[in-house]
Amino acid sequence: MKSLALISVVITGWLLLSAVGDFPDWGDPDSPANSYRLSQHFVTETFHETAVPNMVTAVLADYRGYDTMFETVVIFTAGIAIISILRVFRTEDPGAGGPKVYEKRPDLIVDTTCRLMIPIIQLFALYVIAHGHHSPGGGFQGGVIFGASFILIALSRDMQAAHKWVPERRVLNLAGIGILIYAGFGLASMFLGYNFLDYAILHKIIPATPIEARYHSMLGVEIGVAFTVTAIMYSIYSNLASKGTMKEGL
Amino acid sequence: MIEQAPALILLFPFFASIIVALAGIRVPGVSFPLTVISMFASVLSSVAVLVRVMNDGVIRYKLGGWEPPMGIEFRIDALGALVATAVSAVGLLAAIYSKRQVPAETGDRVSQYYTLYLLLMTGLLGMVITGDAFNLFVLIEVSALTSYALIAMGPRRASLAAYKYVIMGTIGASFYLLGVGYLYIKTGSLNMVDIHEQLIARGIFDSTAILVAFILITVGVWIKMAFFPLHAWLPNSYAYAPTTSSAVLGPLVTKVMIYVMIRLTFTVFGADYTFGQLEWSEVVVWMSVAAILVGSISALAQTDLRKMLAYLIIAEVGYMVGGVWLADDIGLIGSIYHIIADAFMTLCVFLFAGIIFAKTGKRDLNALDGLFTKMPLTMVGFLVGAFSLIGIPPTAGFFSKWYLIQGGIASGNWEYVIALLVSSLINAVLFFRIIEIAYFGAKPAEGHGDHHHAESHDSKISEAPLSMLFPLLATAALLLAIGLYNKDIVAIIAEFVSLSNLGAILP
Repeated sequence: MKSLALISVVITGWLLLSAVGDFPDWGDPDSPANSYRLSQHFVTETFHETAVPNMVTAVLADYRGYDTMFETVVIFTAGIAIISILRVFRTEDPGAGGPKVYEKRPDLIVDTTCRLMIPIIQLFALYVIAHGHHSPGGGFQGGVIFGASFILIALSRDMQAAHKWVPERRVLNLAGIGILIYAGFGLASMFLGYNFLDYAILHKIIPATPIEARYHSMLGVEIGVAFTVTAIMYSIYSNLASKGTMKEGL
Repeated sequence: MIEQAPALILLFPFFASIIVALAGIRVPGVSFPLTVISMFASVLSSVAVLVRVMNDGVIRYKLGGWEPPMGIEFRIDALGALVATAVSAVGLLAAIYSKRQVPAETGDRVSQYYTLYLLLMTGLLGMVITGDAFNLFVLIEVSALTSYALIAMGPRRASLAAYKYVIMGTIGASFYLLGVGYLYIKTGSLNMVDIHEQLIARGIFDSTAILVAFILITVGVWIKMAFFPLHAWLPNSYAYAPTTSSAVLGPLVTKVMIYVMIRLTFTVFGADYTFGQLEWSEVVVWMSVAAILVGSISALAQTDLRKMLAYLIIAEVGYMVGGVWLADDIGLIGSIYHIIADAFMTLCVFLFAGIIFAKTGKRDLNALDGLFTKMPLTMVGFLVGAFSLIGIPPTAGFFSKWYLIQGGIASGNWEYVIALLVSSLINAVLFFRIIEIAYFGAKPAEGHGDHHHAESHDSKISEAPLSMLFPLLATAALLLAIGLYNKDIVAIIAEFVSLSNLGAILP
């Protein structure tokens, strides 16, 4: 069995390498990916069409916004899947099979450091989310940072302390609302008579030109993404760390 | 509204899944009705799209209003509309069946189950109607993640089976993604039709990178559809999953992946390249012969009802892959027809297996002892599904096999024809064994002559409730309808096949 695995790995590797010689050179301006009208259009037209200077964000949240919506759904699905597999809802027999509940030992240095850092982390997360239009960033990255701040609370103190801020039901609500925000932008465009996710028509309900409407809607969907990613990040951590009991983790 | 019908096909289950996720935590009771209503709306949208495609030709729906290839588009032709209709109909019927079984089998996780169920349907329907190669990957991810969870929510052994599936499924998806990456490097585009046009315009069909992309994509999709010898993940996953999960995954996941293979073969690479330039048809047809025989013979060895059906799926995958690679237009018609027919016949027998499990609590074939008298209507529904899998007219299975065999003869692939006939015979043995147990009673255990007295505690078993009986009988009726209206369905398929350019490359 092991030799079979080795053979298939070798074949796959050889297959992948054999194609490399056929690729365009590094940074070749005439390579298909660089010269085809697709990338040309993104480079030259993005700013005129969406008013967003960061074209990566524009491709992600507008030109291919439908993909990004489902990438958010993938994260949401992962969270729901982990809850549905791991979460132990019945709590009749505490302790049986669950992880050992450690005695709480607040550590002054760790506690104080985290207390100082967490607001800064969260502020930075908000900045990353909001500034995705102009610099690298956006809902996924900001959401992960925001989620990490709650994980830090749970790590530095205990899970119950984190649950004061993000109880389980709130986490699930946040995750669902995040996707609802994203899909809601699509649905709103549909109700106003354009295709799904065609943000331009939203200028009818927000005070902006069609191009600015795209700009603002992208911020809106990024916020939706951030909601879901934040919630699911923390949800996955808390379920894994507490073996689904949501009581006491690492 | 009709303009938006292509998007509505998947937006109904998608929005329903969000609402179920949000409201279902508080009121689990809303999950089931919302699921059924949204799937019903999805069926209506698919039918509307199918009618429109047949009248006006291919529908293109630009998401976000961007012109492809800049944006993503739905591109629905006759094939896509037909498969979308079948997929949403199977989703609806399995959802109706789930009414009692989901609370019974998943306990407190009803709302999570239905959220995942609806997301699975969203993913599968999205795969069918999308016209973008990368978007297809994203939706493969959505449907794969949900299927892993839907399987793992079963009893203990399901978790291990799901874990194997996670590993295999991830490898398959990665292969597909790598292949799409190679195509992007060589063409600069992600839109399926546009990739094909670029391949022609740049004249790069000879390039190694395209060949590697083709191999990666094909093998990736084969892993996902459990094509022999990449099938190891399937039997246990479908046998140990909750019954609703196997009733929806069994008919749909493999069939949609076969649709994806057809789509990529004909729309992205083109028939000229796949069957003309590469001369691999023989090899793949032989592989499908192996799949058919291994699947059928393994099914013969099973005593667990659902595991037996799972092995039959592997054989059926062999039918369809082989039918496509016969490189014959009648074979292709047969393959596509079989996607539709097999979706419903697999649903039919898995619903039956679910009902038996729900009623008797047993998994093995002996649970069927004497059920003809106890649940006559259920058995009638099952008989139609079984006859269809064997290939007895006028059920759908007969006509699809008829076309497949004709395709095999026309292209001179006799080994495929023989494998199909052998497999039909094995199916006949399998199902008549079940019918025998259910009609005449199980074989008495050694040394006990009076077995029918021992079974008296089973006399409580009665006809299945309406929520289970209705989907089973509706599926059985659909199987007959698909068989009787085979001309109309073939007319729809022929619309696609005539554009596939298969005739031109035949010798």
